[in-house]
Amino acid sequence: MILHIDMDAFFASVEHLDHPELKGKALVVGGDSGRGVVAAASYEARRYGIHSAMPMFMAKQRCPRLVIVPPRKDRYSEVSRSVMAILHRYSPIVEQVSIDEAYLDAAGCGRLFGHPRAMASAIKTDILNRVALTCSIGIAPLKFLAKIASDMHKPDGLTVITRETLSDVIASLPVEKVPGVGRHAHEQLRRMGVATLGEVRKIRPSVLVERLGKFGHRLSDLAHGRDESTVIPHSPTKSISTERTLSADTRDREQLKQHLLAQSQEVGRQLRRQGFLARTITLKLKNTDFKQMTRSVTLDHPSQSSETLYRTAESLLARQALDRAVRLIGVGASGLIADTTPRQACLFPGMGRKENGWNKVDRAVDQIAERFGRSAVHRGSLSPPDDLSMD
Amino acid sequence: MKFIINKFQIVNVLAKVQGLTGRRSNLAITENVLIRAVNNGIHLTATDLETGFEGFYPASVEKEGAVAVSAKKIFEILREFPSEDILIHEVENKWIEIGNEKVQYHIVGMNPDDFPETPHIMDVDFFSIEASILEKMIERSVIISAAGDEKRAHINGVFVERTHHDVNRLRFVSTDGSRLNAVNHFYASSENIPAGEGVLVPKKGLNEVAKFLDIEGEVQIGIKDSNFIVKKEKETIIIRMLEGEFPKYEDILAKGNDHLIKLDKIKFGKMLKRMSILATDNYKGAVFTFDDNKLVVTATNPDYGESKEETEIEFTGKPIEAAFNPKFFMDTLSVIDEENVIINIVDGSRPCIVEGDTDKTFIGVIMPMRI
Repeated sequence: MILHIDMDAFFASVEHLDHPELKGKALVVGGDSGRGVVAAASYEARRYGIHSAMPMFMAKQRCPRLVIVPPRKDRYSEVSRSVMAILHRYSPIVEQVSIDEAYLDAAGCGRLFGHPRAMASAIKTDILNRVALTCSIGIAPLKFLAKIASDMHKPDGLTVITRETLSDVIASLPVEKVPGVGRHAHEQLRRMGVATLGEVRKIRPSVLVERLGKFGHRLSDLAHGRDESTVIPHSPTKSISTERTLSADTRDREQLKQHLLAQSQEVGRQLRRQGFLARTITLKLKNTDFKQMTRSVTLDHPSQSSETLYRTAESLLARQALDRAVRLIGVGASGLIADTTPRQACLFPGMGRKENGWNKVDRAVDQIAERFGRSAVHRGSLSPPDDLSMD
Repeated sequence: MKFIINKFQIVNVLAKVQGLTGRRSNLAITENVLIRAVNNGIHLTATDLETGFEGFYPASVEKEGAVAVSAKKIFEILREFPSEDILIHEVENKWIEIGNEKVQYHIVGMNPDDFPETPHIMDVDFFSIEASILEKMIERSVIISAAGDEKRAHINGVFVERTHHDVNRLRFVSTDGSRLNAVNHFYASSENIPAGEGVLVPKKGLNEVAKFLDIEGEVQIGIKDSNFIVKKEKETIIIRMLEGEFPKYEDILAKGNDHLIKLDKIKFGKMLKRMSILATDNYKGAVFTFDDNKLVVTATNPDYGESKEETEIEFTGKPIEAAFNPKFFMDTLSVIDEENVIINIVDGSRPCIVEGDTDKTFIGVIMPMRI
C-alpha cells in the first residue's frame, strides 16, 4: 500500500502556529503588492472562496479583513524537514514531491506498524505532537489513488482505498481530479462524453491517444486500475532555478539585469550548497501577453559561480529583442554534475579562466548569508541608492 | 581575360583553398578566388582576411585580366570537367565562360577590384626548413586545438620561437591551458636561422599551411612585422599573427629525476582507448594509480558505470595517484613516432611529461585533473 501525506494548508498553518493571535482568522501567505498572488490560504480564508494562485487583490475583495502574511520560505523548509524526518522513521521509501507533500511505501512495514491505516494514524499523531500541524493521508494500492484519497477528507483526513473499493472509486472519480488531466484534456474528455475515470474505459485506447497524445495510454491504464508508478525514494536534482513576476511589466534592460544578478546569486548559492556544477544555463522570460520563452547556453566548463551564471544569463538577455514588456524573468541551471567530479587543472594558474577569484567571493558571501540571512550581503548594484548614505 | 589551363595544374590548388574561402568572414568576396591572368600564366589568390594564399600557375594566356569567382563553384566545375585543357574566358563584365562547345558554364563573378589586397612585404629575412619537417611540426602543434569561441591569443596561436642560446633551434609551442606540446627543430649553424622575438601564429593559418606542404623539398619561412610567411617556389601563404603574450612555459618542461616510466606506446594507447569508452563530456577523467610495478587505470561515470585496467610497469617508491583526461594522452601518443614512450610523473597535482624514448624533438606536457 502507498501512503500520500499532504500537510493541510501548509504555509498558512505554519503562520497560525507561529502567530497564535491569528488563529481562527482568515489568513493567506503571499505578496501584498498590487500583483501578488496567494501562495497558500488557511481554511478560514478558503471559506471565502480564496485559493492559492488567486491574485491578491481578488482575495482582498472576497474577504476585506483578510490577514496577509509575507512568505517565510526558510521557516517552511525547516518545518518541512522535521515532517520528512518523521516519515523516514516509518519507511525507508519516502518520496518528497514538494515542500508539503510526500509519498511513502508501506510495503514490508506491516510487522513493525501493523495495518497501513494504523501506521497512518500513528504518523498523524506523531506529526501533530512534534510540529503541531495536521495533515491528510490517503492510502491506496496505487500511487495516483493515494494522492486522490488524501484530498478526499481534508483537513486532518485519513482515507483508505482498498483493492475491494478501488473499482468503485475509479468508477465515480471525476476525471478532472486525475493527476495529469488539465483544462485541455478535461475539455477533450467532456466532448467524448467522459465525466468520470470509470467512463474512460468505454473509449478505445487508440482514440484516447489520438485526442490526448501519450497521456491517453496512461489515462486508459489508470481507468483500468493499472498504475506502474512506484514511490521513488530520492529523485536526484535535475535543475535549479528561480523566477520572479515583476511588480510592473518592463522593457528596461537595466532593471531586468538587476533581477538576473539577484537570481544568479540565488541559483549559484543553491548550486554550491547542494554541491553541483551546471553545464547549461537558461534564461526564462514571460511577456505581457503571457507568452513564455526560454533560451539556453551550454558552457564549455561546468560552473557554480554566481558571476558566470549572471554573465551567461545577461548575454542571453542581450541577444533577446524586447518588443513586448517583460512580466516574469528567471534563471535556471541544468545539466548538473557533482562538484566533486574531477576537473581539469590549469597549466598556467595566472592565465586560466577568470572564475577562480570569484570562487572565494562566492564562498564568503554564502557563509555570511548562511549566518545572517540572505539579505545581509548582496551586490552593490542591488542596493537602493538611499542605502548608501554614510550617516 | 581569356586563357587555357590544364585541369591538373589547378584543381588540386583549388581544393586546398576551400578551407580559406569556406570560412565566414565579414566580406562576402572572400568566398571567391581572385584569378589574374598575366602573360605566361595565372595568379590565384584566396584569403579569409587572416590567412592569405597566393600561387602562380602556367597557362596559355590569350588576353590578360582579372576575375573574382566563387571558389567552391569553379572548383566543382573544373574537378568534374571532362577534358584536360579548359578555356576560361571573361565574355563580358564579370560574366565568365568556362568550357568548350560541348560543356559550357556561364557564371557570374564579383568585382575583382573589391578583392582584399595581399600585403607586399619587403626585406624579409627568410630561413629554410624541409617541408616534411615543417608539416610534422605543425601536426604536433595543432593537435592541441582551440575551441571555436576561444578568445585567448596564447591558445588560438602557436608560439614560434627562434633561439641561438646553446643550440640553434626553431620551436613551436602549443597549449590549450591544460596541456602543452613543445616541438623542436635543430639547425647546425646559427646562420641557418635568424633569431628574433617569439611570435604567435594562428593555429587556423598553420592548418592551411600544412595542406600546401609537399613530401619533398624545402620551404622558406619569414617573420616580418605582423606577418608569418611561408613560401614555396610558386606559392606563398601569409598569416597575420596574433597579438598577445605567451605564458612562461620553460619551467614546466623541466623533468624530475624520479619516475621515468617507460611504456609500450601501442599497448598504452589501447589501454587508454579502453579506459575512455565510458567517458562523456561531464566525466572525462580516469584515475591513474602508479604502484609497485603496476599501473592501474580506473574510470567512473555515474551515468554508465566503471572500468578498470591494470598493466605492468617499472615503478617503485611511494604510490602516485593522479586523474587525467585519457584523450590528452591519446593525442600526445598519436604524434610520437616511437615504439616506447617515457612518462615522467611527480604527483597528482603537477604536470606530467610525455616524450619519445630517444627522439628529442618533441615534449608533451599534460596537467592532471583535480580529484
